[in-house]
Amino acid sequence: MEFDLQFALAAFPKILTGVPMTLFITLFSVSFGLYIGLLIAVCRIRQIPILKNIAAVYVSFIRGTPILIQLYIVFYGLPEFLTYLNQSQGLAISAEGLPHIVIALVAFTMNASAYLSENIRSALNSVDKGQMEAAYSVGMTTVQGLRRIVIPQALVVALPNFSNVFLEITKDTSLAFSVMIVEIMAKATVEASSGYKYLETYLDAAIIYFVVCYIFGHIFVLLEKRVKKYQEVNL
Amino acid sequence: MTEIFDISYIFQSIPLIAKALPLTLSILLLSLFFGSILGLLLTALKVQKNRTLNSLANSYVAFIRGTPPLLQLFLVFYGLPQMVGSFGIDINDWDKFVFAVITFSLNSSAFLSEIMRSAYLAVESGQWEAAFSIGMTNIQTLLRIIIPQAFVIAIPNLGNLIISLLKETSYVFTIGMIDILGKAKLIGANGYGVRQLEVYIGAALIYWGICILIERMIHFYEKKYNQQPLKNTDR
Repeated sequence: MEFDLQFALAAFPKILTGVPMTLFITLFSVSFGLYIGLLIAVCRIRQIPILKNIAAVYVSFIRGTPILIQLYIVFYGLPEFLTYLNQSQGLAISAEGLPHIVIALVAFTMNASAYLSENIRSALNSVDKGQMEAAYSVGMTTVQGLRRIVIPQALVVALPNFSNVFLEITKDTSLAFSVMIVEIMAKATVEASSGYKYLETYLDAAIIYFVVCYIFGHIFVLLEKRVKKYQEVNL
Repeated sequence: MTEIFDISYIFQSIPLIAKALPLTLSILLLSLFFGSILGLLLTALKVQKNRTLNSLANSYVAFIRGTPPLLQLFLVFYGLPQMVGSFGIDINDWDKFVFAVITFSLNSSAFLSEIMRSAYLAVESGQWEAAFSIGMTNIQTLLRIIIPQAFVIAIPNLGNLIISLLKETSYVFTIGMIDILGKAKLIGANGYGVRQLEVYIGAALIYWGICILIERMIHFYEKKYNQQPLKNTDR
């Protein structure tokens, strides 16, 4: 079969309509994952008993298993968990009609939170302890010290890794089609099977992913330059 | 459904799922093998001074890094037969295993070339000069001096790559292969699919176990090789 350029061009805008869903899942899970990841990182840095162990196991589990399995565990586990809650707590959350998007968002948020917690932890640990002490010595409170001294420095370390996690999640959302979410990948598969033109449609999808990743990668490079500004002043 | 969740079923299913382990591991190892050869070639192109060769290798790597591995699998599995079909070669009856290995070899070669390049550049240029000064040839220097040192530098990154590749091999179940995840899905479908969650948790535990094992191994080698120079160079 010859490469059908006409078909590839015609399918492109149709596959493009999957982009908002991909972006929505990515942005949602990264932003909520950031909060959960921060909590996990704080538990581990502060060495809070029990919580720190649970956090370590959680992070290791998420990082040691494929996202595809995590999606399935949430897909089958979340309704069962809700049923259990209903029975034991007398709640009445409907577990049957759980929208698929909820499952995808829960799975990707959990996934993002584990990777981001490691990211936050290493970034916070990279800032010298003396920096906080110095902040105290000039009369800053803990919050002030964190906000004005520690976090700006930690951000410089965190951003490159954060960018990697973000792009990984963007690419991983291609697996959301396995829980019946219609994003770029699913749109491409639908288009492909209509005319058995797999090469054309998946190449379209590849270009779309590539451009999306490229744009985000570029935004992060610009952000990195922005947060590194204080280093220039020092020099 | 008598019980919502049956922990013992997880452990019953693990030995059954583990039967698919050889398939997952052989995809992993073969892809790493071919990926290394291809990655070495890419690295050779990248460290050349020739602009065209550089950009050729770089755009390949950028494409692989900017698109989801799942999409790459689909491109190879559905697209490749169509592509070579237009040249009159029929590969439709090739085993799925071949397509899986091709995909993950192509995928890992890009990441491996990045690792190899950074490790190669991390070895001091003085090492080259020192080797030349005692009369070694280019190839001797590369084999005896540069590569052994570059390998030690590359170990941690290599470990991360192997772990993420292992997790990505789970995608092959989407093209109907019976790897760990595929096996889990089959077993889960038995018994009217009541115990799906348990089975997927069982599969997750297997992946987790292998990942922890790989991590330990990498840690061991990292320590072993990093100690050597210290022992030998004490004054």
